[in-house]
Amino acid sequence: MIAASAPAQARTQQMPADRLRSGARLLRLEFRHSAMLWLVPLAAGLFWYNAYRPVMAMPALWSLRAPSMQHNALLDFVLPVVGAATWMGSRESRRGTGDLTAIVARPRWTRQLIAWAALTAWALAGYAICVGAVYGVTAAQAAWGGPLWWPAAVGAAGLPALAAIGFAAGTWFPSRFTTPLVSIGTFMLLGFSTQFAHGATSLWQASPTISGVSGIGPDAGVATFYPYLPDLPIAQVMFAVGLAAMVLGTLGLPAASGSRRVRAASAMTAAAGLIAVTTAAGLISTSRFERHGMLAIPALHDAASDRPIAYQPVCGQAAIPVCMNPAFVSYLPVVTSALRPLLTEVAGLPQAPARILQAAPTFSQLSYNDVAVRDAAGIRIIAGARVLLASMPDQLPGERQPDVTSAQYAMQVRAQVGDALVGILVGEGSGQAQQAVRAGLLMASGVRFAGPGFRGDGLGMTLRGPAPGSAVSDAARRFAALPAAARRAWLNSHLTAVRAGRITLGQVP
Amino acid sequence: MNVELSDLTRRFGRRTAVDGVCLQAGPGVFGLLGPNGAGKTTLLRTMATVIQPTSGTVRLLGRDPGQHGQRREIRRRLGYLPQALGYYPGFTVAEFVEYFALLKEMPAGAVPAAVATAIERVGLADRARSKLRTLSGGMLRRAGIAQAIVNEPELLLLDEPTAGLDPEQRVEFRALLREVGQRSTVIVSTHLVEDVGAACSQVALMNAGRLVFQGTTAELTSRGEGHGIGDAPLERGYSAVLATARA
Repeated sequence: MIAASAPAQARTQQMPADRLRSGARLLRLEFRHSAMLWLVPLAAGLFWYNAYRPVMAMPALWSLRAPSMQHNALLDFVLPVVGAATWMGSRESRRGTGDLTAIVARPRWTRQLIAWAALTAWALAGYAICVGAVYGVTAAQAAWGGPLWWPAAVGAAGLPALAAIGFAAGTWFPSRFTTPLVSIGTFMLLGFSTQFAHGATSLWQASPTISGVSGIGPDAGVATFYPYLPDLPIAQVMFAVGLAAMVLGTLGLPAASGSRRVRAASAMTAAAGLIAVTTAAGLISTSRFERHGMLAIPALHDAASDRPIAYQPVCGQAAIPVCMNPAFVSYLPVVTSALRPLLTEVAGLPQAPARILQAAPTFSQLSYNDVAVRDAAGIRIIAGARVLLASMPDQLPGERQPDVTSAQYAMQVRAQVGDALVGILVGEGSGQAQQAVRAGLLMASGVRFAGPGFRGDGLGMTLRGPAPGSAVSDAARRFAALPAAARRAWLNSHLTAVRAGRITLGQVP
Repeated sequence: MNVELSDLTRRFGRRTAVDGVCLQAGPGVFGLLGPNGAGKTTLLRTMATVIQPTSGTVRLLGRDPGQHGQRREIRRRLGYLPQALGYYPGFTVAEFVEYFALLKEMPAGAVPAAVATAIERVGLADRARSKLRTLSGGMLRRAGIAQAIVNEPELLLLDEPTAGLDPEQRVEFRALLREVGQRSTVIVSTHLVEDVGAACSQVALMNAGRLVFQGTTAELTSRGEGHGIGDAPLERGYSAVLATARA
């Protein structure tokens, strides 16, 4: 019923504090009616399917899981966030409230910012929950090290930028086709940005989905022995925040957006965003590939990050102790048992190391996106003892690593570390006896040799051995077939001669 | 005078929707009559500061809407119900009215009471928590009126406000208009002559973008004596003025 009597109401000027309060109330209303509210469960579902499961299948290494999550999570959020933002940006046009909202006192720009802020807050809340799940579980599983926050920060900075792009597109082009076109377009652009990035200085690395050096990506050998370099993430955050500011500032430039003061503020916001974007791009263009597998940006680089992280190795019991970075402690049982037969056989022989110590590989960028990874294998004298430094295969066996089983991982270790160890003992010479002894020792320890035409098994489990049927191959088989005690006794007395190339093939038992 | 229009013209391309309108209105209820396409809605949208005039001058509430600061002051004191009311279906009636109260920069502390009052005045108190998508056409119209009056406007512009209202609601709505008109300027655009007769003290009649009559309802009625077509005296006055204008 329409009542004719009503109390008159005094009109008072809004005070700044009052403006804030009414802004907060508007934000509350937008919170309740943001399209993102309904899409957070969808984003979380996509995250679970596309990011959480594969990331959790990786070894519990922060250096592996956090960057992988950064890449996957953003791709899972891009469609819901950009879609919701475009939808919300076109709301006034779609709902025909243009005349009503055109005549209100509050500037259009602040109204738009409030709607964007509510949407972004929902997106960030969903993202925080998803990141929290990955980080929480990883914290419970990881043996060593702490969370890497920069990958999460890059994703968090990317979401407001995505929301701003969608919102602006919806505002400027309020067509029914805008939402799907802009959402899918942004998804494709982000998804393919990793393909477009070539080399260390590629500007495509500003994309928040790029979480590591092109050609390496998230890797267990990176950011474990050396600190995680935040140089690229800092530039990415700067780029994303700048992009968001630029787009949002541009929204406030039209005359209808508000007073001169409002438009000046929006112009300054856009200009600040532009400066941040160009600065970030400039920084990225100066980045260089570091030997520890990360990008350094000179202007942002902290030299202290180049020093290796100090740690107390964890060692597995064998005739020659195998010691690993504590982050890889879950690898230790498989590594130790894979090497144990060989270690038992060679322990105490001349030139045999007193210890095997896991070490970081060295990376260097080749042309295009090719990266050379050099194994750390080599003898170093540490505290008066001969220590074999070796890089381990970087995949964890077992159920959590669906691509590699424990048996396959053990074969990788034997082929990689065992070969390095035997090479140290027997020498790298080209003598036939050396080759036969080396191959025989490896065969005895369980290493498989491939036949002619072998092009690799893709997992590094098989080595290229002496040509089948050759004299070297026959001698190697003969040597491998010896009882372990006999082989060890012969090596004890002849190894120095083998190394010196003074043993002929016929003398190999 | 709260509304002062002088030689106001508004063109859309080659078409002149409002052609040299001069109009003054003080407190009270002012009816704007005219056939479809006469330019009523364009005139109202110009007064509501939705669109700017092509030429002529406009002063509203003693201020120049061409100046940003003054326009903002006008908008704080303005209520407007467009002919085609857009709305957000997911909002409740209370949220919809609150949303516009906040956008009109009402003091935040006064908003809850003002929203409740406005909703009560349009008879939607029992549906305050209903989503707009669940309301009938008439109820939506009333929700639109509630958002227009929530800030106790000094200038209230209503475009076809009674469309969709049932007879009982229309009677009550006219009472509301009279009540608001005691301290504010209310301009009601309609083609329902009986609404004007019942609620308006002043009336203007538009045809083809021009004002062809401005006066009291009694004066319009007198124009129809012995002439015109219609069941009611005011209708006859309306049709007589129109016939003269078209001749």
